Amino acid sequence: MSCFQGPSSLKRKRPELKSPAQSLTEHERILYDVIRSKQDIGIWTRDVKKEAKLPDNVVNKSLKALLVKNLIKEVVNIQNKGRKHFMATEFEPSKEISGGTWYLEGSLDREFIEALKQLCKEQIRLSGVATLEEVTDSINRRQAFNVGMTKQQIEEIMRTLVLDNAIMEVKSNGMGEFASIPFGKVCYKRIGKGGLRGEPKAEAGALASIPCGVCPRISYCTPDGIISPKTCVYFKKWLDF
Amino acid sequence: MVLFDNVLHRVRFSKFMAIVSQEFDKPCVDLIETLLQHGRLSLEQIFDGFRDRKSSGGMEALRGNIHKLVMARYVERCPVAEPFLALPSEEEAAPAKRRGAKSAKIFFEPETLEQRVLAAAVPPEAIRFSVELNPEISADTERDENNSPSNVGEKRKHDALESGIDGGVADKQVVLWRVNFEEFIRRLRHKLRSLFLSHLSHNIPTGGGWWNEIETQDVHTVRRSVASCLHGDFPIVLSEGQICVENVRARLDDEAATVFSAMLDASRSEEKKLKIPSSVPLSVESIYQEVIKSEKDRTKTLEHIIPVLDQLSSSPPFIRVIGDSYIIDFKHIIELAQTDEVESIVLKKYGKDAYRIFRLLSKAGRLLETDKVLVTPQILVGVGWDNLRTTGCANIGICKAILLQLASGATRKPALWICTEVNVDSVFVEKKETANILSKMWQGDYLQMEKLVAGPTHFLLWKVNMINIREHVLDDMFHAALNLSLRVAYELEQQKEILNLGVHGPVKEKYEKLRKVRFLLESSRMKLDDAVMIFHDF
Repeated sequence: MSCFQGPSSLKRKRPELKSPAQSLTEHERILYDVIRSKQDIGIWTRDVKKEAKLPDNVVNKSLKALLVKNLIKEVVNIQNKGRKHFMATEFEPSKEISGGTWYLEGSLDREFIEALKQLCKEQIRLSGVATLEEVTDSINRRQAFNVGMTKQQIEEIMRTLVLDNAIMEVKSNGMGEFASIPFGKVCYKRIGKGGLRGEPKAEAGALASIPCGVCPRISYCTPDGIISPKTCVYFKKWLDF
Repeated sequence: MVLFDNVLHRVRFSKFMAIVSQEFDKPCVDLIETLLQHGRLSLEQIFDGFRDRKSSGGMEALRGNIHKLVMARYVERCPVAEPFLALPSEEEAAPAKRRGAKSAKIFFEPETLEQRVLAAAVPPEAIRFSVELNPEISADTERDENNSPSNVGEKRKHDALESGIDGGVADKQVVLWRVNFEEFIRRLRHKLRSLFLSHLSHNIPTGGGWWNEIETQDVHTVRRSVASCLHGDFPIVLSEGQICVENVRARLDDEAATVFSAMLDASRSEEKKLKIPSSVPLSVESIYQEVIKSEKDRTKTLEHIIPVLDQLSSSPPFIRVIGDSYIIDFKHIIELAQTDEVESIVLKKYGKDAYRIFRLLSKAGRLLETDKVLVTPQILVGVGWDNLRTTGCANIGICKAILLQLASGATRKPALWICTEVNVDSVFVEKKETANILSKMWQGDYLQMEKLVAGPTHFLLWKVNMINIREHVLDDMFHAALNLSLRVAYELEQQKEILNLGVHGPVKEKYEKLRKVRFLLESSRMKLDDAVMIFHDF
């Protein structure tokens, strides 16, 4: 599970001193140099072929050999998952290729994101109002993950929580609950006192509470039509006490 | 002529009575009920109607009750039947005059002929809420009615049809009284604002997904409310009103709720119109005086009030500070309530990820002071680009494309549009999924889409257009309200026999079920009507 692995940038390996690169054929050497020159960006197969100026079959064969010798690796490029992307094994994919902290093997690491969101939300719930720095420090102090989170990463999480309407972004007025926060500083505040365990109580809008509010066939619904409130299956389900 | 708003008001009669019953005793509630049923009545007619009731207490008591209700502005004198327009619009003048008295109840958009007629028909405040049963005033009113003999017959026929009074009333020189809908709507608006405040301080989201998940928490909440109402003696709407008040008390920061409602009370008497963007300026002292009127808050000092006012004026701002005074920002609060309603539909209809994306787009739209943004490349780079960056929603490619379009003479304000490509990072949704969600919301008319071509590549830009969405949602609300009413009628029609057998009959269970179904449908319709008011009346 990724949340115990931490951000990939911290796992970056140093280039090995004794490389098996010495035992390479000429073609393999050319390809390896091309791929290695791209560092943590890596390169798409078609671009390898273009740059190396070698026949397709030679390139394919040599790439396989390099993979077997563990000199290169195939990585997922989140910008285009369908393309075969190669990188020298000594590098870890850059943020542009891997998607950054939030991605694991080319997919959004939802589990990690959700765990972090819960922690941040919990922190805001406990403190009522907190600055970004306070939340970051608190998360890092807990050591729930084996690596520290940066302020920027926590900011991204907080921004999502604001979009989720789980917390509010406000500016401190330096008074009352904001007394410990300098005037004008952006901070995050919990929404209401909450129901059980401080979670916001669910309160759907008036239209969203009834079947018609979310009905995909509302435009076909008429009083005496084939789809009508009298014959509506959603109504039937809703009123089935 | 169909008075659309009067049709809507009919659904709200029980709400109006609930409001009166919270402030006045039973005879006043009965009086309001009678006026609601009959439209317009003279004092004598009301008295005749009450003669048989034990609670009536004679003519003097009735006068006293009318006096109380007029003072509270729940009852008013009927407006002038034939208002004089300074600049009547030629041919339309006659029919407009004929409509004048009737349509005084409804609220039109400004600048229409009806609006002018209504304004002319409304008597001055002193007469409108005058309780002096002065025969001279009555006579004047009646004389005004008689000024247009060509219309008077038709008008009376119209009156008799709608209000159910006989023609004889108009022949006597009497004052006609009617319910002042404006005041009721204003009270409901305040109540909804209070409710909305609680809503804001506690907001939504759980659940998500689509129809299969509909019978989640909210439905159960409604069902629970229904169940609790079933055990009470009050009609469902009264219980709902109580729920509103209880919500405010339970959910809000108590201090903020107290001060805010004190501000509403203090400003209410100064409100002359319904759709006002903000309240009159209120000084700290006047707010304080209003707060300490209640026994519970009598011990509060100014030091308690000032921090709460600061809290209310900080983000999201419910009040604005102008000099030493405070103003309630009604327009902003109503807009937030509308946005809230729309967002809850998006959440329910398209799921949590869509809700997040929608809010991102909606907030991005609000971030820019569009009127202040001049669409030139320099400003776009300086302002638009920064705003896009703030929302984490732009890349160089889009900006270049926008600049290219601007160079070719486009006049649109591009910074309000967000590109599909960049949504991914901001909302933690997979790129492919984002595209699907955006497309679905676009098909449901919740988003606008525009294709931006820049050389060989193109970008899809997305935007929330709240003006269009409001219309669309209001339309759906009317449709849903009709459906609820039709379904109630259908259920009652289907179960007619069970109704006849009654609660103690052999089909007791079925009877109870029907009762619950009816309450759920009707309470949902009442709740929906609150939302309709947010979009239509406020």
